[in-house]
Amino acid sequence: MAEAEAFLRLTKLTKQFGKFTAVNGVDLDIREGEFFTIVGPSGSGKTTLLRMLAGLERPSAGDVYLRGQRITDVPANRRPSCMVFQSLALFHHRTVGQNIEFSLKMRGVSRSARKERAMELLDMLQLPVEYYAKNVTKCSGGERQRVALARALASDPEILFFDEPLSAIDYRLRKLLEVELKDLHRATGKTFMYITHSLEEAMVMSDRIGIMREGQIIQIGTPNDIYTRPQSRFVSQFMGEVNVVAVTASGDKLEAPEHGTSLASPSERPSGFERGHLVIRPESIRFLREAGEAENRMMGVLYNEYALGSRVQYHVRVGEEMFTVEKLREQAYWGELNDEVTIGWDAKDSVLVAD
Amino acid sequence: MKTPCWMKWLVGSWTAFLVLFLYVPIICVIMASFSKSRFFKFPYSDFTTKWYDKTFASPAVEGFLSNSLQIGGVVAGFAIVLGFLGALAFVRYDWKGQKIYQKMILLPIFFPQAVLGLALLLWFTYVGIIPNWWTAVLAHLVWIVPIVILVISIQMYGFDASMEEAAYDLGAKRWQVYWEVTLPVLAPGVISGGLWGFLLSWGNFPLSAFTTGADSTLPEWIFGKMVGSYTPMIPAIGSLIIAAVAVLTFGGFFALILMRRRHAR
Amino acid sequence: MSDASHSLDERPTRPPPPVIAPPGLVRRVAQWFRQPGVLNALPVLVLFVTGFGAPLIIVMEFSFLPSRTFGYHGTWTLENFERIFSETFYISYLWSFGMAALTVAILLVVCYPAAYGMAKLFGKWSIIVTFLFLMPMFVSENVRLFGWFLFHLPRSGVLAGIIREVFGAEDIGTLLYTPTSIIFGLVYVYLPFVLFPMTLGIAMIPKDLVESARDLGASRFQIFREIEIPIAMPGILVGGLLSFVLAVGAISESKVLGGMSVITIANEIQHEFTYAQNWPMGSALATIMIGVVAVIVTFVMGRLDLDALLGRK
Repeated sequence: MAEAEAFLRLTKLTKQFGKFTAVNGVDLDIREGEFFTIVGPSGSGKTTLLRMLAGLERPSAGDVYLRGQRITDVPANRRPSCMVFQSLALFHHRTVGQNIEFSLKMRGVSRSARKERAMELLDMLQLPVEYYAKNVTKCSGGERQRVALARALASDPEILFFDEPLSAIDYRLRKLLEVELKDLHRATGKTFMYITHSLEEAMVMSDRIGIMREGQIIQIGTPNDIYTRPQSRFVSQFMGEVNVVAVTASGDKLEAPEHGTSLASPSERPSGFERGHLVIRPESIRFLREAGEAENRMMGVLYNEYALGSRVQYHVRVGEEMFTVEKLREQAYWGELNDEVTIGWDAKDSVLVAD
Repeated sequence: MKTPCWMKWLVGSWTAFLVLFLYVPIICVIMASFSKSRFFKFPYSDFTTKWYDKTFASPAVEGFLSNSLQIGGVVAGFAIVLGFLGALAFVRYDWKGQKIYQKMILLPIFFPQAVLGLALLLWFTYVGIIPNWWTAVLAHLVWIVPIVILVISIQMYGFDASMEEAAYDLGAKRWQVYWEVTLPVLAPGVISGGLWGFLLSWGNFPLSAFTTGADSTLPEWIFGKMVGSYTPMIPAIGSLIIAAVAVLTFGGFFALILMRRRHAR
Repeated sequence: MSDASHSLDERPTRPPPPVIAPPGLVRRVAQWFRQPGVLNALPVLVLFVTGFGAPLIIVMEFSFLPSRTFGYHGTWTLENFERIFSETFYISYLWSFGMAALTVAILLVVCYPAAYGMAKLFGKWSIIVTFLFLMPMFVSENVRLFGWFLFHLPRSGVLAGIIREVFGAEDIGTLLYTPTSIIFGLVYVYLPFVLFPMTLGIAMIPKDLVESARDLGASRFQIFREIEIPIAMPGILVGGLLSFVLAVGAISESKVLGGMSVITIANEIQHEFTYAQNWPMGSALATIMIGVVAVIVTFVMGRLDLDALLGRK
């Protein structure tokens, strides 16, 4: 990608706190208008990274460029970006309207112009007009999220940063807000940078995802890429339970030493692959009847089953390991617990990772 | 575990008894101020307010009163500023030495006041300062500022600092952050800190006794009279002090409740 | 380019963090100084040094000078300290520390139920109760002790008067001018100083801890001993320490209520400074007091977690 095309570029961005390195030489290019999410466990450095981009932390080393201009030293109040905080950080001593207008007030915009813009945003975020004079503490959780969004959008920033704003909300509301956020992104066309520890959440909303671990970004790709072609066990296990089998290369095939069998290998292999793991997603496995066909098969005992709404999850004990199988309800297993079962999958539905 | 009803009643009555216990002497003082006779005898039947008239007319009392007010006011002012800054250092920033600072700054509270007063007297004389109401201000501050720091810190602990970051991120300059966010939210805490400062200074005796020099305060005057000969002017002044404290604390209390309502957390 | 995932060749190894040279000593001190915490603490620290640190040092220095010195320099001597222990001064110490200890013991017992109520039982009423306890504290202790004086006055006092009217009994004697009245006065004045920290301490006891202990079969007393006291200990310690230290330095109670039947150490010090005009002696008396208080305070404070007590999450 040519230099001129990168909208937001990070080069070797680093942050150290004493001896501890929170962010370790991160390089990243963000495109204009995309919804980019950084996913990582707590302590991976994603919050620190975001804060450096917002201007709330000074990098120890490295740079940030916006449209080719170096903004590394520009303080937060002069960057064309706004952040939505984890706690929302709404001014609880002010009304909804005053919160939304805040950035405009700081810029010296006139009272009437501010009010007009606030009304515009209330409408865009589907908040009733009467809320303008309402104290923020009287709003519900979902409403406060929207006020926080409106506040961040008021000054028409080029980039919006989101610091895990949905992590403290209950499931139902979160699902609703995820969809609303994605719609908002489409409506405004702005660049959104989001961080979360939930890959599931990221998949719903993002154009691209970056997986972060211990201060570094270890994989970047579209949600589909991350899901179907993880490059490490760490990434593959982010989405919940996957089946992981230790394998070694053996010509065209794979040896699974712990199961004493040989398995068909997917055509794509990490170059120079000698040993690693084979990752198979639960929904790629099926139960085989006597005459069923699959490239790879394992025999085991059905240990337990879990109803997940439209799907059913099974745990099958194979040797020392537990395999997870997930099927739609229409394709549920026909037998009973403690049955001896044969499960199988096709090699093309599995992924090899080198670690 | 539900606390049994009888235990709640027991605890409640005991607490009520303690509250009453605390107010008995106050009531006695107020009663004594209305007795006509020059000597105290309980119960009495002749009521009068003449002792109050005498008090209001007395120029000596006026002098002591103005000293007390002056010292109290100045102490409150300094206590607010020093207390606010000190509380910021106490609660925030996670800086090196903070733990030591926290313990150290509270030491003056855990110290016998009379000894501190005498030590300060010695110190002032050593440095060549003649005690006056300014030295009393300093003496009061030494003890009062740590308390005000505590009062404000307790409020500050509940303050979401990301509000300030949000304001900054939204384009506010540093001073605007203080003006728009920090001060308005912390105002109740700071004001109550100032109120504490004034009231504690106003009623203080052990420190004032040694550091005011010629500018004696009301509590000093009362003490002198108490160990001397009795006159009902003592309870009269005592009652006025009680009244002033009651007005200030009630007023402050209700003002703070109102402010809390408006800024509902 | 960065669209497709990074080439499968790049394994996620960890490059060493860039080397940033640590600054020199002077730089480090300056950097420490510029921390916002330090800058904000500076005014208070100046007050602390000039109003607390310096006077105490002067007092300690003075205690080594020969008696009756008024200049600030002289040959150092231990004669003041010798006198303290050979003459009757040490009796005042015993009285003061003893009475203070007794006061604290009484207050710990008396205040616990009320503190428990304020922290756990009274709910919305707690604020009003707090306020009621707080208000008298702002009235000068002299005025309040004087009220007790009027109360306890033999024959013409409030108590005597009530007993006379109700029971017809005359002249039952009085508490005044005895050591008991001093203890009474100390308990009265320092009650709030024990009550409030104790309330904070008890407020730290999580409700579900008590409930689960109950569930596991503990009796009320066992819960009290094993759970409530240990968890509330910081508050209890602070309250006990504060009232002890202040009571040791009490100066008014013995004069107003006790009629100087007991001479507290604070009275002695004051006497030496004023009537006896013996500053070095007064300083020596004060120094010992400061020493003992310092040891006790350091010991207790060193074991406290202030953040937890004050509510920092």
